[in-house]
Amino acid sequence: MTPSFIRTMRQPSEASAEVIDVDVTPVMNMFIILIPFLVSVAVFTHLAILEFSLPPNVGTGLDDSAGKPRLKLTVVVTPEYLAITRGEKMLDSLGRVDGRYDLPLLEEKLRARRNSVQNRDEVVVAVRDRIKFEDVVAVMDRCRDAGFEKMGLSSATEDPEGGM
Amino acid sequence: MFAAGVSRRMAHAGGESGTFRPQLTSLVDVMTILLVFLIKSFSVEGTLVTPSPDLELPNSTSKKNPKPACSVEITRDAVVAEGNVLAKISDFSAVDSMLIPVLYDWMRLQNLKCKDSLRLREVLIQADRATEFNVIKRVMYTCSKAGFTDFSVLALGAE
Repeated sequence: MTPSFIRTMRQPSEASAEVIDVDVTPVMNMFIILIPFLVSVAVFTHLAILEFSLPPNVGTGLDDSAGKPRLKLTVVVTPEYLAITRGEKMLDSLGRVDGRYDLPLLEEKLRARRNSVQNRDEVVVAVRDRIKFEDVVAVMDRCRDAGFEKMGLSSATEDPEGGM
Repeated sequence: MFAAGVSRRMAHAGGESGTFRPQLTSLVDVMTILLVFLIKSFSVEGTLVTPSPDLELPNSTSKKNPKPACSVEITRDAVVAEGNVLAKISDFSAVDSMLIPVLYDWMRLQNLKCKDSLRLREVLIQADRATEFNVIKRVMYTCSKAGFTDFSVLALGAE
């Protein structure tokens, strides 16, 4: 005796001749309810925040053991270049490439410099007045990507002789 | 001729009875794709912060979600908080004083409100991407004078 499913398989012409009429009306009803609901709760633009403090709140800057201030890395953003400084000492200076800041190189330099300082989680971003906000956010992003969890944002003096 | 074609199609679609039954398969396909897309962009949290339509936010790679905080919006020409224009940028950007008096009064008020509520004592700065840091620093300075020391900036995050 041949099983029923084999009988069905052996008669393709009969099966195709029989039009299976699937009633999709309930599915459509469900879609019509579900889609407006999902449209109302969908988020099409993802918003994010970047947290920072004023520089004194990034950390006390005092070494508990000796009471000496621990210098933090500072990224100075000027219209012409980016600079990585530590105290009065300029460690790196990155000029613009094709009119844009070399941010990948900045991240690379920050990663390298991070290993040589005591304050490995803190960085100060010092920005000159004319810099656009999008450039500030881009530099802060790179600092965060380089591993600095705490960021301070401050103003950089226009006169380099007066300190960074 | 057109009517005959339609009636033939209707007869074909509806079978012997002659009632018109539209083919919904392609529509169901479209709906299924739409459903998958919408489920992907589904958010249980919703949007806690609504960016001002007057400004274009900068892009960021940050994945940290916004938290409810005292918000200050810096559009191309004014400093706005909760829909109130507090100061015109042209009025304070050229003067020597770093303090923006109206914003200072507003933030002092917000600081007092934050003490009574669960809201964080943090300022969320929403600034246009073209805003100069000269303006941002004055807003930050004024907020710090009003008692806020922690800040965050709103940006368009990466997916």
